[in-house]
Amino acid sequence: MINFILRRLLYTIPIMLGISLIVFVLFHVAGGNPVYRMLGKNASPAEILRLTHQLGLDRPLWVQYLHYLADLLRFDFGRSWETRQRISEMIATGLFPSLCLAVPSFILTTLLAVAVAMVSALFKGKAVDKLLVVGSVLGMSISILALIIGAQYLLAYRMNLFPISGFEIGWRGLPYLALPVLLWIANQVGGDVRYYRSVLLEEIGREYVVTARAKGLSRGRAMRTHVLRNAMIPIVTRLVMEVPLLFTGSLLLENFFGIPGLGNMSINALNASDFPVIEAVTLFGSILYILANLVGDVLYAVFDPRVKLS
Amino acid sequence: MPYRLPHRFRPLAVLLATAFLACTPSRKNLGSTYRGVLISNIKNFDPALVQDQYSSMCQFQVYETLLEYKYLARPYDVQPCLASAAPAISDSGKVFVIRIKKGVEFADDACFPGGKGREVKAADFVYSIKRMCDVRTQTTGWWIFDGKVVGLDAFRKATESLPPLPEQYHPALYDGEVEGLRALDDTTVRLELTKPYPYFKYILAMPYAAVVPHEAVEYYREDFMNHPVGTGPFLLKEWRRGLRLVFERNPKYHHGFYPTEGMPEDSAEGLLADAGKPLPFLDRVELDIFEELQPMWLNFLRGNLDNSIIPKDNYAEAVTPDKSVRGDLAAKGIKLFRQKDLDLVYMCFNFEDPVLGKHKRLRQAMSLAFDADQAVELFYNGRGVRAHSPIPPGLFGYDPAYKNPHARYDPEAAKALLVQEGFPGGKGLPEFEYLTVAASNYRQMGEHFAQCMARIGVKIKVSTCTWPEYLSRLKQKKVQIIAGAWGADYPDPENFLQLLYGPNESPGENNANYKNAEYDSLYREMAIMQDGPERKAKIRRMQDILAEDCPMIPEIHRLRELLIYDWVGDHRGHAVLDAPIKYYRIDAALRRSRLEGRGK
Amino acid sequence: MQATNPIPAALAVDRPMRSRALRKLLRDKLAFAALAVIVIYAIVGLLALFHLAATHYQDSVGPAYTAPGAKYLLGTDVLGRSVLERVVHGTRIALVVGFVSTGIAIPIGILFGLLAGFFRKRVDDFIVWFYTTVDSIPYILLVLALALILGKGLVSVCIAIGITSWVGACRVVRGEVIKQKELDYVQAARAMGAGNARILILHILPNVMHLVLIQASLIFVEAVKSEVILSYLGVGVQGEPSWGVMIDDARIELIGRGAWWQFASATGAMFLLLLAFNVFNDALRDALDPKS
Repeated sequence: MINFILRRLLYTIPIMLGISLIVFVLFHVAGGNPVYRMLGKNASPAEILRLTHQLGLDRPLWVQYLHYLADLLRFDFGRSWETRQRISEMIATGLFPSLCLAVPSFILTTLLAVAVAMVSALFKGKAVDKLLVVGSVLGMSISILALIIGAQYLLAYRMNLFPISGFEIGWRGLPYLALPVLLWIANQVGGDVRYYRSVLLEEIGREYVVTARAKGLSRGRAMRTHVLRNAMIPIVTRLVMEVPLLFTGSLLLENFFGIPGLGNMSINALNASDFPVIEAVTLFGSILYILANLVGDVLYAVFDPRVKLS
Repeated sequence: MPYRLPHRFRPLAVLLATAFLACTPSRKNLGSTYRGVLISNIKNFDPALVQDQYSSMCQFQVYETLLEYKYLARPYDVQPCLASAAPAISDSGKVFVIRIKKGVEFADDACFPGGKGREVKAADFVYSIKRMCDVRTQTTGWWIFDGKVVGLDAFRKATESLPPLPEQYHPALYDGEVEGLRALDDTTVRLELTKPYPYFKYILAMPYAAVVPHEAVEYYREDFMNHPVGTGPFLLKEWRRGLRLVFERNPKYHHGFYPTEGMPEDSAEGLLADAGKPLPFLDRVELDIFEELQPMWLNFLRGNLDNSIIPKDNYAEAVTPDKSVRGDLAAKGIKLFRQKDLDLVYMCFNFEDPVLGKHKRLRQAMSLAFDADQAVELFYNGRGVRAHSPIPPGLFGYDPAYKNPHARYDPEAAKALLVQEGFPGGKGLPEFEYLTVAASNYRQMGEHFAQCMARIGVKIKVSTCTWPEYLSRLKQKKVQIIAGAWGADYPDPENFLQLLYGPNESPGENNANYKNAEYDSLYREMAIMQDGPERKAKIRRMQDILAEDCPMIPEIHRLRELLIYDWVGDHRGHAVLDAPIKYYRIDAALRRSRLEGRGK
Repeated sequence: MQATNPIPAALAVDRPMRSRALRKLLRDKLAFAALAVIVIYAIVGLLALFHLAATHYQDSVGPAYTAPGAKYLLGTDVLGRSVLERVVHGTRIALVVGFVSTGIAIPIGILFGLLAGFFRKRVDDFIVWFYTTVDSIPYILLVLALALILGKGLVSVCIAIGITSWVGACRVVRGEVIKQKELDYVQAARAMGAGNARILILHILPNVMHLVLIQASLIFVEAVKSEVILSYLGVGVQGEPSWGVMIDDARIELIGRGAWWQFASATGAMFLLLLAFNVFNDALRDALDPKS
């Protein structure tokens, strides 16, 4: 097992290099010279040259890339153009609020989606199933903006069920998170249901299930004992694929509910053309994804002994 | 949590707890806390780097300047703040000798030996101004001193050859003398100007001219902007970016008092009841950040905020057609507060554009075709007056009777001008780009402009971009028509007329890149002239030149409206000061009873 | 020539299955309705594209914020423009984004998938590494970064979405090619002396196209949704209404004024298109699934 994990870790190295290369090309080669932006409106050509040299932007690209890699290894993403804060600190302070929102949403969405998908798959082709399909597509195509605006007004303000916006650390913060979590679920569950439904249907169609049913196993029981267990791999795959959502999924939610997380930070960076921050968020998201993939692979092995650990 | 649940029930427990807690909102004891709003993230606390309204609002709670604006007296004027008396100005109007208050100390901070803030000295002002003018600080405020103080330009030039900043924070150059900026002794600052600028006293009240201790700059270096150390009424206690800022009363602040002079209506409204009392009245200031207007508005209605602007789409639900607060809001204790802003919303044409710059009658036609009154209704709920020149009401030189012949809506006259210029019905004209900042509101304003222009056959493409991108395109003159707004930095018409002064062309503030020899020479004359009939005549001539040449379409001067709960006392609007929070008072008992009464 | 041409052999396996699939698809009433909806959208989009419909989307046709009624079917917006015309124009944008992005992504995916699956070894290692890398970067961030760097506007939105969404197609094609390569008809073709390019394009490609079709419709749906997010964030389409722009507009008027029609129209238009695609996709998958 340890061997397997180590091998997988080694395999992530070229991927990490690839990501850093793509991001470097995007932001440092195609993105243009940041010096103009940093020096502001009254920069003289001499000043521009000086700062360009000081930042090392006059060196060959591959040298710049190596320095860039070295910075990344030290988790040094540089400073924001807009607030001039250290970006690693910005990420560190933004991560916790984002996770407060994302983790419960993520877990609840998955549980709900699998349950609904099971119902849908059991009644495939029946009215219930069709209704659920339409419902989940509706959920997928209603803009999260509408959900946010409507729910904040109706549920939080009019009906006074939730606080309108805000964030606190600790238990006192729970009420503030309730509504954004619900909205996250409402926004996300449609797509998940659609996916899990097709996964479950695929599994139901397999011979062993047919055999089990022929032997007199009830539909629900077959679902629970056989199908769900074997569908774990695609479910884990889906979970892994959704890890980047942990913070991109909350972009607008954080803004409307005043949650000072990474999504909020990304939107601000976007509105300010703050390239270093966007770059760091992109890198950070990729790293998160790779780590999740790693965990996912280990989980496959746990759920399915047939997966060879080699 | 006092009890434990098996693991698999945890998510359920969280959900239940959430639902339960949500129904019993905790009402913490607010006491004398003022809860205000910031509708944008603030950038930092370095007075040299401030460039937006919200950052300067926050800085103002912590940092102070030699002079400050009078809170109640009108017309707008300044009074001593850290100075002990009004500046002694020489007869030539060029030498300012300012004595500073004794015994004012910086707030206690780790940057000082033993953590105890020391007394403010005259040398600190000299240092602070020099630091701001150092090119390496990358200040956005050099323009306030540019060419105005003897020897300061040479100082700035000299800093260009110094090593980059983080390595060397307190270079020897700072100890050298600048002719026009000297500390005569520990309590006297002497400034010598190149010309007798009448508005220089206002510059000494701008946030850029705030005093900072060199110890903090050296100690925090690149992070100085996140660690304000000042002399102001409040201390920064908590700063959660994207959420809120919290300030608490500065225990060492003893030098500020509530004004004793005001306008007659101020005493009628009870605003002078606190005259002469020591400031501040508040213990704590919380400024919540709202990037979206809806949560701000709903929180205000709920009573979680003490004031709020009125989002344009919520206007009808808050204000009646006869401009008073709707009954249900008034019953909650909400009052409407109106204030004439010193500002101008405008559009300007880039004169470097080969078509727009060359055809005066085309610009005049576009000015005539723009329906500003409709824009005021659509986008400002009628909160504003049509502008006829850059100068807003409330400033010297504004004349309500003055009419700019091209600042009216007359599409027929516009069409006729196009015919005269050889573009009948817009034929022969390219499509022009209208550039604005990416936000639904601004985009819609652009679309409205495009619609107006389409009526006379001029084609407009509306482009949006981020604020930094917008600035950089302006500075590089890569624009055709831009939307802009200008708020007064100080209450002098010069601040508005400089928007079209030739030498101020981009990257300066003259974004039209307009050059007119007569206008420029008039500007230079009026800039150093005391208010009087002669200055008025020159301003009038300048307005006429602008009306004829149409480098800009002056749209409107806005009227600021604010809703505020009646438990906030001593509140008076100020067109230059964005947040005179130190004068506010909170009636905590009234607030408690109003909010509790609401729950029932 | 006729005798040595292996194509009939390949098609012999394939054709009945495909026509069976088509028949199955057409028999499914729901799928047929979905297809009809898609076709209607396409027609409306084409009409708008060639300036035959919704030509007055920028003009005021009535007072601001008129509710839907007999005169203005879907009401008017802040500048008194017809919401109906704007929705139609938005359809055009959605279809352009959908088709162009798919048109960029699918060829890239097919090319890389074919190469990787067919040649394996180094080529495969490189392509797998490359798509894993691209796939590791969160999609919306990558699109945003690209759109920021390429500049704003319809073209860069299409390019950004296009060159970030080929991975799924590539992966599927690669997997299928690995399977197909071992099948008899490929071996036969090889025995007949057909070159690599010939085998790939004439023999294997037609047999993976059904999978590509499903992928294409997935990319299409994703592209339409991405455009809405990009437009909302201000890096999308410039100077003309798209559904994203309309939703952004509607956001500020929805609660304050109760002007729900612009929002409902844009969301409804998007919902119907996505629903149709989803239903059609399901049916397509069922029909092409040899197991059922």
